[in-house]
Amino acid sequence: MASDDNPILEVKGLKVGIEGTSILKGIDLIIPKGEIHAIMGRNGSGKTTTANVIMGHPAYEIEDGEMFLDGESLQDMEPWERSREGVFLSFQYPQSVPGLQVGNFLRKSVSSVRGEEAARGSEFREKLTNAMEELDIPKSFLSRYVNDGFSGGEKKRFEILQLMLLQPRLAVLDETDSGLDIDGIRTVSKGINSAVRGTENGALIITHYSRILEHVNPDRVHIMIGGKIVASGGPSLANLLEDNGYDWLEEQVENGVDFE
Amino acid sequence: MDASSQYLSTDRPDRADHLWRYTPWKRIHPTGRISEIPSEFSTPLITLKTLDGSALPSGISLTSGDTDSNELPMDEKITRRFLEAVTEESKFTLTVAPRFKSSAPIIIEISTGGIFCSAHICLDIGKLAELELVTVLRGNCDWFGMLRTGSTGEGAITSDVVVNRLENGRLLRVESISIPRDSQFKAGTVSSGSTITKADLRYRMFQPGGNLNVLGSILSAREMSLDHHIEIYHDSPETFSRLDWNSACGGSSRTVGTGMLRISKGSNGADAAQLFQNLLLSRDAQADSIPELEVSEHDVVGCGHGTASGPVDQEQMFYLESRGMSPNESKSTLIAAFLNSTLSEMGGETMHNWLVSELNSDLNELGD
Repeated sequence: MASDDNPILEVKGLKVGIEGTSILKGIDLIIPKGEIHAIMGRNGSGKTTTANVIMGHPAYEIEDGEMFLDGESLQDMEPWERSREGVFLSFQYPQSVPGLQVGNFLRKSVSSVRGEEAARGSEFREKLTNAMEELDIPKSFLSRYVNDGFSGGEKKRFEILQLMLLQPRLAVLDETDSGLDIDGIRTVSKGINSAVRGTENGALIITHYSRILEHVNPDRVHIMIGGKIVASGGPSLANLLEDNGYDWLEEQVENGVDFE
Repeated sequence: MDASSQYLSTDRPDRADHLWRYTPWKRIHPTGRISEIPSEFSTPLITLKTLDGSALPSGISLTSGDTDSNELPMDEKITRRFLEAVTEESKFTLTVAPRFKSSAPIIIEISTGGIFCSAHICLDIGKLAELELVTVLRGNCDWFGMLRTGSTGEGAITSDVVVNRLENGRLLRVESISIPRDSQFKAGTVSSGSTITKADLRYRMFQPGGNLNVLGSILSAREMSLDHHIEIYHDSPETFSRLDWNSACGGSSRTVGTGMLRISKGSNGADAAQLFQNLLLSRDAQADSIPELEVSEHDVVGCGHGTASGPVDQEQMFYLESRGMSPNESKSTLIAAFLNSTLSEMGGETMHNWLVSELNSDLNELGD
């Protein structure tokens, strides 16, 4: 049930599979209002699956568990309904849509998520211009086709541009830092901070590296191994992991070390 | 020998022929009795104006009467002669003066009516002219035959888009256009009308520097059968062509796209490619694409062809749905984008906006 005390995201005992293969083996996660959390993990640990399942990708089968956004169950919601309720996914590999102009796409998205009024008039244009300036995106971008021929960095900036315009309750950012140079990471981090910090919204950053976390400074870091969150702690956990590696961390977890 | 006699003495087409494989001559002939030429053809109402309603600039005119167009060696004899026979009383010439320029696209509106209707339009585009031309077909005749012939001038830059918005019935459309030295010619086809279409579109670059873009945005719904055959001839060195043909097929409709790319001996430096893409929107929709090459010159820059068919991409759907668009909106948006990727290349912004507005209602029907 929705109440002011509910966290933005609550995931309880989530088990997920695809085509008969079990991927997530019991995820528990709580993101309170105004917080940014990070999930780190090796390739194949289930990070992207977690992101896709929160957004409602139809290919995945929920075997057990529940997910709540502001206390409302996400389980029976279609992806577009989740989006309208305030879930946003920044894709690791965003789809290209030749023939669909960026400007039209942004207007349609904002209109769908925030209502027709929000996609009209000078207020929308001003927000768009400001966000593009903040992300160093030139105006000519608007007449290009969505992600068609974009460089890796352009794709990630475009995802963050959408985040800034859609103003979601929960932003899930799936390896938004991959393929970005140092300047790109700094710019994108600025965009994430401006969308979440100082608001009651929340974010879940999924990443391999601690670099982006230096700019975003998450409230909590979770480590995922083999479809489970095996350790959680403050921002320093990311540095510990990067310095010592996953094998070391697994050993620590087996020895009962608590990183809180 | 007059046109009728020429038609009646021409050998009947062979169904094994690439052109006639899917829509045989009997099916598109007005009566189906291919040994006859019906006499009761009406002339459509044809008007020439600017797309934005501004005054027609000087240097462009549409006149009725005899046309001056030579048959090209590669023209299909049967349909060309049949259409010449049934358009003797409905011939028009679009004359565009050398160095003509218009800030607004020019539109030829063709309003058909009656049972059988036909027109022959000859394009006579002057040297160095710059022109965006839309020819739009409307009305509700049972059968419409359109022959378009002619040439562009040297160094001319032309966008020539034909929009089929016929309410129903059958359309036979035959084109034969010559592209001279350094001429840039965009030939667009937008088709969302008529129940059965058979189009035979031929373009010949016969001098160096010819540059041709053939673009198709085809929407077929219900039980439509839309068959387009495109032949491109590189008959001179340093010529360039691209064919991009996108068809979205819904209902129990069928689209056919056949392409023939011929590069003759001596056309060194030719650069050509053709791509057919089909979006299948229902289980009963069918799309056939057959690109073919005939290359007789070994010194070419490139010469490729390809075809791809499939349903709406589910990952693209998920991407759009993750941005709040409902499944119907997402699907309509993806269909529009698919068709727009060729539509947007056909002309400038004014023409593009007009083409999009013409297609919107049909897009909504396909997206449902």
